[in-house]
Amino acid sequence: MSSSLGHDPVVVTGIGAVSSLGPTADALWQGVIAARRGLGELDLFATTSHRTKLAGQVDTDALPRQFAHMSRADRFGCTATQAAVQDVPTFLLQSGRAGVFFGSSTGALFEGERFLAALLDGREGDLHSIVGLQNDGPGNAVAKQFGCGGPVITYSTACTSANVAIAAALDALHSGEVDLAIAGGADELCEITYAGFNSLRAIDSEPTRPFRADRKGLLMGEGAGVLLLERRSHAEARGATVLAELVSAGRSCDANHVSAPDPEGRGAATAIRQALQEGGLVPADITFVNAHGTGTPHNDVSESKAMHAVFGERARSLPITSTKSMVGHLLGAAGGIEAVLTVLSIQHGLLPPTAGDAPADPELGLDVVVHEARTLPATNVGLSTNLAFGGNNAVIVLRSPQAAPGPKKQAEPR
Amino acid sequence: MSKDTNNEVVVTGIGCIGSFGLGVAALRQALATGVANTSEINRSAGYHRKVSATQAATTDEQDLTPWLSDDDGRRMSQFSQHGVTCARMALASANLHELPSERTAVTIATAFGPGGFTERLALQVLQKGGKFASPFLFTDCVANAAAGQIAIATGARGANLTICQREAGPLLAVAQAANDLRLGRADVCLAGAIDELHPLSHAILDRFRALARPSTRDGVQEDDVLEERPRPFDQYRNGYLAGDGGTILVLEREQHAVARGARIQARVGGGARAFDATAPRTGHGTGSAALAARLRERLGAHLHEIDAVISAASGARRGDALEAEILRLAVPHMPRVLTPKAVTGEFGGGTIASAMLALAGADFGKPAGCKHEDASLGIEISAGPVTARHILCSAHAAGGVSSWLTFEKP
Repeated sequence: MSSSLGHDPVVVTGIGAVSSLGPTADALWQGVIAARRGLGELDLFATTSHRTKLAGQVDTDALPRQFAHMSRADRFGCTATQAAVQDVPTFLLQSGRAGVFFGSSTGALFEGERFLAALLDGREGDLHSIVGLQNDGPGNAVAKQFGCGGPVITYSTACTSANVAIAAALDALHSGEVDLAIAGGADELCEITYAGFNSLRAIDSEPTRPFRADRKGLLMGEGAGVLLLERRSHAEARGATVLAELVSAGRSCDANHVSAPDPEGRGAATAIRQALQEGGLVPADITFVNAHGTGTPHNDVSESKAMHAVFGERARSLPITSTKSMVGHLLGAAGGIEAVLTVLSIQHGLLPPTAGDAPADPELGLDVVVHEARTLPATNVGLSTNLAFGGNNAVIVLRSPQAAPGPKKQAEPR
Repeated sequence: MSKDTNNEVVVTGIGCIGSFGLGVAALRQALATGVANTSEINRSAGYHRKVSATQAATTDEQDLTPWLSDDDGRRMSQFSQHGVTCARMALASANLHELPSERTAVTIATAFGPGGFTERLALQVLQKGGKFASPFLFTDCVANAAAGQIAIATGARGANLTICQREAGPLLAVAQAANDLRLGRADVCLAGAIDELHPLSHAILDRFRALARPSTRDGVQEDDVLEERPRPFDQYRNGYLAGDGGTILVLEREQHAVARGARIQARVGGGARAFDATAPRTGHGTGSAALAARLRERLGAHLHEIDAVISAASGARRGDALEAEILRLAVPHMPRVLTPKAVTGEFGGGTIASAMLALAGADFGKPAGCKHEDASLGIEISAGPVTARHILCSAHAAGGVSSWLTFEKP
């Protein structure tokens, strides 16, 4: 069984984020700590023909101009990556030992829609605008922009894409295939996905309220979240600051329904258990959870049942939050931005609240952080969960860097 | 040297579909002819330019009922139908009727995902309005729809991955699955590629000048050269034949396969992957030396054992040249080079299925369009049965991603 046990630990040495709260990880953090919602009426496309009008749209005027020629998703990915790798010498990025592990669920679908609309209108579409149309667009854009010569791979597992990509980066670092990994995801808002989630009646017409009794659905967002990962010895050799340790990951499938989560959360629980096992951890080690927490009635029930299945009675006192309440659901990039927030929670010892006025739904039996940020212990082990269409589940575990050298526990045999 | 069967990954089953038909027997027949089964793409929607590629190697109207009931199929996109069909075919071929549910993973590559459903949903939204979007189309239009449907159809509850890396995806998917098996995360993995070509994606590929068109080069008198055909490594290649379909392999750790008495069709060897940052976003670059170095670094002495190459060559002008340059630089001797994409078309994982057939000694005919060798490439295409024990598969995606994977005869 592979695990982080016996490996040179993989650490996070850079982060970058683009969201509706701003073009940087700092803007994101300041926003979520203050429970500020980056959610409002869309103006990316006309909403008159849609059921709802709200989303977490990125203000592209605030982004660096150097990527303005790219699709929105490519631009988000490159902006976040630029921040994550800002302290890395170019020769290391371009050495052939740096890889890109990205998640995206729609690539440049917004630009693709404009292209199709032009064709339907009898006009020539702008071919340049759709060079990143396929889902590998953001990952390829990042690799090309930063000159990476190692493996470049894009996972498209809907809302778990970025977590799956981060898990793959962890494997590549453990195996020694790469020395540096740019890992995360990028996605953009588009009409097809917006209409699609509305067709499922999964989008709330008001600000989303994850884990609240009156929750009615998610709000979509867009942006990117990127981690720079490397083995600790590599980070130390180049004098990089270690922000957190990426301990392990777990992945599973419900094999139950194409779009709805397993009502009992069995698949999610399996993924969490796998991550704990591969990290040599036990449930009691986890000090907080950045949940998938979409705010749909079914997701939040399924996820809470997974928490109870893994953590037992402790699920009632384990701090859990949904940052989607403030930036929306970034789909294939959700795991990326939530990984960035998990790192920041570890760094600052604070767990952002789940925005909203009401108390948490008592039926869920969870210690949902509401109203204001919660102070965390001095050292932390954070779990970040994502669930997706196709019954897909992917979770990652990050922890405080100072906790890394401690005694290793033996993983239990399967 | 004896193999560590606990860590070796083997292929025990295969299912495939393409314009050649359903199953490996149909593909074997098609590869022997060197001719793709093409049909005219529907251009009535007006997505294509007046002068465009017209041919495609698509899987339209194949009878899937041996593997997928009408009742099940009506709930899925064609993309997912092909995924479930190939998965069931592969499991039957592996004689694997009861899966270790929690220990079975699925890893699928796709370049376009369920394009037909996506296009229909897009038309609903753009022409009628967002309120008219169909939830049925939406839930099966995500790239991981086929992988999810395969999991539901087979009960596979392990990791469920979908990789989108254009032409490089199929090899990356098999390599990912093999890695998860070696790391002990699964006992069985269904791995491969599924793609669905539809008029819009065909038109977009053609607008990027990726597809083979009728050649108009000066000085060529033979009628054949003027036809719209893929010509891998040929002097007059001008693009590839877009196709679709799917291939799924059953991968297991050798120990698991041996314990249940499975027939081993191939062993999965080492692989490599790299990125060429010189590549334009929609084409191939000039970084063959760095790519070859990466291949040598990862596969090292194993490259000496290679006695056949399932090449990435598809008829793409620059892509084929890149492939030739890398092979010349990385493989110490030039083994027999096979070009199955001339028959299967690009996309749908036909190269993986072809690799299994090559190891089984299948007859590979000379591609019908290849009559004018490009001497500058240094690649000679020959016909006849394959007698290889070690095969190198390569893939070079537009945009810069390359992947390689080796297979070995058991």
